[in-house]
Amino acid sequence: MAEIIMPKMGDAMTEGKVVRWYKKQGEAVKKGEPVLEIETDKVNLDLEAEQDGTIAEVAAQEGQVVPVGGTLAMIAAPGEKVATGAQQAASKEEPQQRRVVDKKDSYKHTTGEYAEAIEMKAPRIDRSAPLRVVEGGRRRSSPLARKMASEMGVSLDAIQGSGPGGRIVARDVKDAQPSGQAGLPVLQEKQIPLSAMRRTIAKRLAESTGPIPHFYLTADYDVTTLMSLRQQMNEIVKISVNDFVIKAAALALLSHPNVNASWGDDAITQHGEIHIGIAVSTPEGLITPVIRNADQKSVQEIAAEVRALADKAKNRKLRPEEYQGSTFTISNLGAWGIEEFTAIINPPNVAILAIGAAASQPVVVDRQVVIRDRMKITMSCDHRVVDGAAGAEYLRTLRQYVEQPVRLIL
Amino acid sequence: MSEKSYRDAIRDAMMEEMDRDEAVLIMGEDIGVYEGTFRITAGMLKKYGPKRVIDTPIAEAGMAGTAVGMAMLGLRPIVEMMTMNFAIVAADQILNHAAKVRYFSGGQVDVPMVIRGPQGAGVQLSAQHSQTFESFYGHFPGLKVVAPATPADAKGMLKTAIRGRDPVIFLESAALYGMKGEVPDDTDFTVPFGESRIARDGNDVTIVSFSRMLQVSLTVAERLSSEGIECEVIDLRTLRPLDLVPAYASVAKTHRCVVVQEQWKPFGAGAEIAASITENVFDDLDAPVERVCGEDVPMPYARNLELLATPHEEQVANAVKRVLYANG
Repeated sequence: MAEIIMPKMGDAMTEGKVVRWYKKQGEAVKKGEPVLEIETDKVNLDLEAEQDGTIAEVAAQEGQVVPVGGTLAMIAAPGEKVATGAQQAASKEEPQQRRVVDKKDSYKHTTGEYAEAIEMKAPRIDRSAPLRVVEGGRRRSSPLARKMASEMGVSLDAIQGSGPGGRIVARDVKDAQPSGQAGLPVLQEKQIPLSAMRRTIAKRLAESTGPIPHFYLTADYDVTTLMSLRQQMNEIVKISVNDFVIKAAALALLSHPNVNASWGDDAITQHGEIHIGIAVSTPEGLITPVIRNADQKSVQEIAAEVRALADKAKNRKLRPEEYQGSTFTISNLGAWGIEEFTAIINPPNVAILAIGAAASQPVVVDRQVVIRDRMKITMSCDHRVVDGAAGAEYLRTLRQYVEQPVRLIL
Repeated sequence: MSEKSYRDAIRDAMMEEMDRDEAVLIMGEDIGVYEGTFRITAGMLKKYGPKRVIDTPIAEAGMAGTAVGMAMLGLRPIVEMMTMNFAIVAADQILNHAAKVRYFSGGQVDVPMVIRGPQGAGVQLSAQHSQTFESFYGHFPGLKVVAPATPADAKGMLKTAIRGRDPVIFLESAALYGMKGEVPDDTDFTVPFGESRIARDGNDVTIVSFSRMLQVSLTVAERLSSEGIECEVIDLRTLRPLDLVPAYASVAKTHRCVVVQEQWKPFGAGAEIAASITENVFDDLDAPVERVCGEDVPMPYARNLELLATPHEEQVANAVKRVLYANG
């Protein structure tokens, strides 16, 4: 009898949810065949049978949340007697024991080969979908669906496509629009069950504002040069303001290792590498893919990487090593027109930057009123590690890079 | 109106025009004494004599070239190809001469001639005799290309072809010769080129077709109607000039389109039609334009294989359901 347990898909994972069973109790399975799909904090993936046999027991129902290491299914080897529920209950202590031993087998989902497993399995697409459906990329929608959505003021992001490969078609847009005044979005009361991801966000951010004494520093930067540099570079390669800010923040951290740090009960760790987490919003919620060693990458490299990671995030295809291990985080709501805001620290980081929108404003330079592009950046600091002056110094260093962006591309 | 077969409608058109205009004549292989392989020319030699109903040698290039010369000098020749497959031999005369004389002559000389004959599968004539040629001729400016789907259109469009100023490739469907339908008796009844028609109204899916596949499409439309799916069926009638305006209007209404053609899929008429629809009414499409075409093989002789290689009703019905996202 072999056990399929809830694998640990990263250090932060404590539990996972059963999304669906591909196999029923009593059904035969072959080694390597997917048995069920699970949802973790960040990704969905299939768990496979590790031996030929029969599903002797289904230990968790679809939708059930199971702790890491918890039993999901038992597979009886060919010829092996299928234990009844009562026998299972009687020997409950024993599998608990064996779990430690079996973990080695299941572990292949969490290290080494798991990345390949995810690459091959996620996101799951309808196995009967026609050949012309290509994985990845933007959300697919028919031209008519897009036209209708734009006329009706409905966001395609909120719509689940029913066509091949999840293509959003006209009827999906129609269904998404309850009767009401044409052209205006209609509010509807609805309950959204907490996903594992949303639970994680809530738990971690509450943990953050609770024990972490936050304080906030806002600086106003002149980004006129940066905006014109970006415009020139965009004629060759597409780069966002945020890509420059990532590079600037990373370079500034080189001079302030005390900000690139983590709090520990016994010690503060100053990290030897600079990994910048980027807050990305997805239909399901927030995720922070990581640009590793951002200080060593060119702005173009950062731009390409951010775009690829954001695409993966939106399709829930990020692998754990792509969203874990940040040492510093940046959140940018400039695209939403937010002038300035404060962000909550993403532990175990000790600081986060909240980037507002760049806007043209009249400012006084040499006693003359001139129009300049300005952008506000607010830094949230963990006061246990970063004191007020330390934060202010970091923002001053950051100013050199943001206001003299040629330093970012040299 | 009287009920006529597609075959008789074609003969009526030619005889009415030969009665009306002495410049009209017909030539071809076995059309006189033998009265035509498909009996299109029955009775014509007896009525008009060997000067206007000319039996030719087996020499398609010679027939077509002779007709080009006759047309340039004021006659209105009709060339019957025993099947349109044999006209390939005359391709140079048709494509490089008939289609281009007006342009070469700076507009001084017209070539009013008709090359007509049967094409298509369905009567077990095997690989060399079952092909269709609308995309072949439809590619070349200087020609008109016609493919009627009903006896009335066959008569009205052949008369337009005979009366016109241009070389016309008149593609008859061999499998439709026996088909009957109402045909106007008026000897001046003509059907203009470049005007598609709506053969059936519907709001759910647009089917665009021509020639025999139009009839297949109509049969499918009737069948699907009992399942609650209403297809609008567009009959293109002429491939050059191609009138897709009714198809655009229809797709703007139904948001879905299936193109049905008998010939092979690669570079076929359906590709031109589907691309034009995508170019012109892209924002109205809720599904990719589907093409239903013949299998990509030289036509087999065996009856069972011939049926498998030709588009059938089930394929059209499935495509309609696919663009409706109705069959998963």
